[in-house]
Amino acid sequence: MVVFASALTFFFVNLAPGGPASVMRFDVSAEQREALIHRMGLDRPVPERYVEWLAAAVRGDLGSSLLTDEPVAQRIGERLPNTLALAGSALLLSVGAGIPIGVVQALRRGRAVDHVLSLLSAVGLAVPVFWLGIVLILVFAVSLHVLPSAGVTGVASDSLGDRLAHLVLPAVALATTILPTIVRFVRSSTIEVLDEDYIRTATSKGLSPRTVITRHALRNALIPVVSAIGALVPRLLGGTVVTEAVFGWPGMGRLALEAAQGRDYPLVTGLTVVVAAIAVAASLAVDLAYTRIDPRIRLT
Amino acid sequence: MQLLPMSFRPSACILVVALAVSACTGAGQPAASGAPSAQGQPVAGGTVTIPIGADPTLNPWSPNAFVESLFINRVIFEGLTKPGKDLAPAPDLATSWTIAPDGLSWTFKLRDGVKWTDGKPFSADDVAFTFNDIVLKKELGAQNAASYAAVKSVTVVDPTTVRFDLSRKFAALASFLAYNSGIVPKHVLSADPLKTTSFNKGTPVSTGPFKVEKYTSGQSVSLVRNDSYFGPKPYLDKVVFTVVPDPNTQIAQALSGDLTIMILDNKAAVDRVKNASGLTVVSRPLVQYYWLALNQTDSRFTDVRVRQAFVHAIDRKAIIKSVELGYGQVANSPITPALKAYFDPSLSEKYPYDPPKAKELLAAAGWTPGANGVLQKDGKPFQFTMDVGQRGVLEPVNALIQQDLKNVGVIADLNTMEWNAYIQKDVVRRDYTATVNWWTYPSDPDVFPYYHSSAAGKGFNIPGYQDPKLDDLLVQGQSASDLEQRKAVYKQLQAYTSETLPYLFLWYPQEIDVLSSSLQGVPELGLRDAVQYIGEWWLAKK
Repeated sequence: MVVFASALTFFFVNLAPGGPASVMRFDVSAEQREALIHRMGLDRPVPERYVEWLAAAVRGDLGSSLLTDEPVAQRIGERLPNTLALAGSALLLSVGAGIPIGVVQALRRGRAVDHVLSLLSAVGLAVPVFWLGIVLILVFAVSLHVLPSAGVTGVASDSLGDRLAHLVLPAVALATTILPTIVRFVRSSTIEVLDEDYIRTATSKGLSPRTVITRHALRNALIPVVSAIGALVPRLLGGTVVTEAVFGWPGMGRLALEAAQGRDYPLVTGLTVVVAAIAVAASLAVDLAYTRIDPRIRLT
Repeated sequence: MQLLPMSFRPSACILVVALAVSACTGAGQPAASGAPSAQGQPVAGGTVTIPIGADPTLNPWSPNAFVESLFINRVIFEGLTKPGKDLAPAPDLATSWTIAPDGLSWTFKLRDGVKWTDGKPFSADDVAFTFNDIVLKKELGAQNAASYAAVKSVTVVDPTTVRFDLSRKFAALASFLAYNSGIVPKHVLSADPLKTTSFNKGTPVSTGPFKVEKYTSGQSVSLVRNDSYFGPKPYLDKVVFTVVPDPNTQIAQALSGDLTIMILDNKAAVDRVKNASGLTVVSRPLVQYYWLALNQTDSRFTDVRVRQAFVHAIDRKAIIKSVELGYGQVANSPITPALKAYFDPSLSEKYPYDPPKAKELLAAAGWTPGANGVLQKDGKPFQFTMDVGQRGVLEPVNALIQQDLKNVGVIADLNTMEWNAYIQKDVVRRDYTATVNWWTYPSDPDVFPYYHSSAAGKGFNIPGYQDPKLDDLLVQGQSASDLEQRKAVYKQLQAYTSETLPYLFLWYPQEIDVLSSSLQGVPELGLRDAVQYIGEWWLAKK
């Protein structure tokens, strides 16, 4: 799977029009351009370069960035923790907020609360992250001065509290890319479960509504939600590209954008391999989570 | 004076340009002496924060040192010369220079007692290494190497004297040495001059007033005062460059007080910033001009009347007003108003916006209105494609030009492309018919690389214009020995290019800088030049 992704990426980025940013500059002479292409080895055929890249990659060497000459693995290693922190908090936020909101909507189906929350999640789906990000900065950093505007740490301070404060706005902005989807899933699957016979049985047994919801309804309603979350992980990683640019967050999304714009072939390929690996790991994690939530599913 | 009051109205400036060009030109220029813009006595201390768009590469000659690297490289590395506050070359690592009578060798006397930040002495060997082993080594593809095509070699005469030997006269050498041509240390880079990452992406050994303290990828590069600097001790303690890729976030950060000075690329935000307390907005001249290139391999564009007609047809003042919010002047030659000693303001009304005149000129060239008003010649409509690179203001500008051309019966179809792909198609392969872009060049009128026929088709002569008379003027400019002679040649060159239009000149943009009201002592130059005087900047106590 991951090898397939790497081959696809390697060939596609090399086919894209243009070339490394150092070559595709306005103010580079033809002579200089030729010298650079030769130095980077880009005058050799793509299949030959891919085989060479793959041979090195299986030994853990992802090559060197064309734009900085640093090892690709090192560049990704520097940025990966930041992206995981951002995407992880956004995921926690959207699951943490999405499940209660969805359940409330399901229980109050058709009432004013349901309509208002549905409208809000439609708005949430429609609002672009870059816009929301700027609005959040203008409100919380510029007007209210309660949160920092961008970056992972302040210029002078580097405490845990400072880092968390820097994380709040980008995590909220990124969470909105998946929160409405989670809310909708929770709402519809909870509604479905609430109509099931065993819920009626549980209610008529005289169990309190709280127990019925948490013990019986939610447990079953969450099964489709978990698989939806697995499918949302790639979307979350895609969302980091914009979020990280807006909030000056030094993560992989921004690195990917720079790498693609600068046609940094080894870096683009390396990033794709890492992201593909994360997506594969996420879907594996979902499969494992299933067996915990739903005893009917067993890994054999 | 350059420090514009808060109530400055760009549209008023446009009007003034129309009425009395010289008056507004004067208003758009820095005072020659760079008179201090601040009140009170400078005080020491404080940190200045400047945003950059991406991680910089701390080596002025690396092909990966893009625009975001310029700021820092100009602060930490020093050239033999630097741009004076009048943009003429001023001493930096060289204290004086003499030109041999034949104009083919220049001798630079170097400053004595300069030390690298690692304590090693700076000497003529470093200068020779920088040029002989980096710039002139063709296989390295060093950035900016094309500027030194006339340099044969650099010879160490004694530890504080170097000689540049040239293959042809090159009057602009001292100006070019002031432009992104920092001297780098031989003792650190001799193994791999362009790919030493501990240098390029770490803490390079340098000679400037500040040195790199810490490079944090994707976040910031912080500089501290270099206590072994040869010049006067800077007032500031630290200069921090923060990496903020999104221009709107940069504006938000300036508004929240996180930045001390920045270039406002998105001029649409200027009013919002002006109304904020604690911020000052200033405009600065740039050595930059926008142009429309018409590929000279297309026979429709070799007729000068067609090119002149296009300039009459394009409402350049409307473009300046719309995309630059008035911060710019109509251009009619490659020499920008920032080069005060050379700029000829008398040309600025040469091509007023005049569609009927444009139609007349096109008719004279054989283009007559056909069905539906589109001009045609030999039964073929006047229609072509303009490639649009996605960067800066290029997209709206092309849309305005398209409309203006349509009004005189010329159909331009726009083909918008991602920047990198655009460069490959239009610049590398020269596979284009018409395109808009800009040139920024060293603060010297020597525009040889962009206009000489030897650069047509492959060098920086994008339209591929070839004209023996222009070639002759360009060579004369390089051969002229004194300022008066050069002024005379470049006055002729401005008149000639405005008549023949190798490129269709559009406008000279100005830069808008936003700075904290407490920041003082910044010379009235574009920010990328002003950072070379960062030792004079200071922060008033609030």
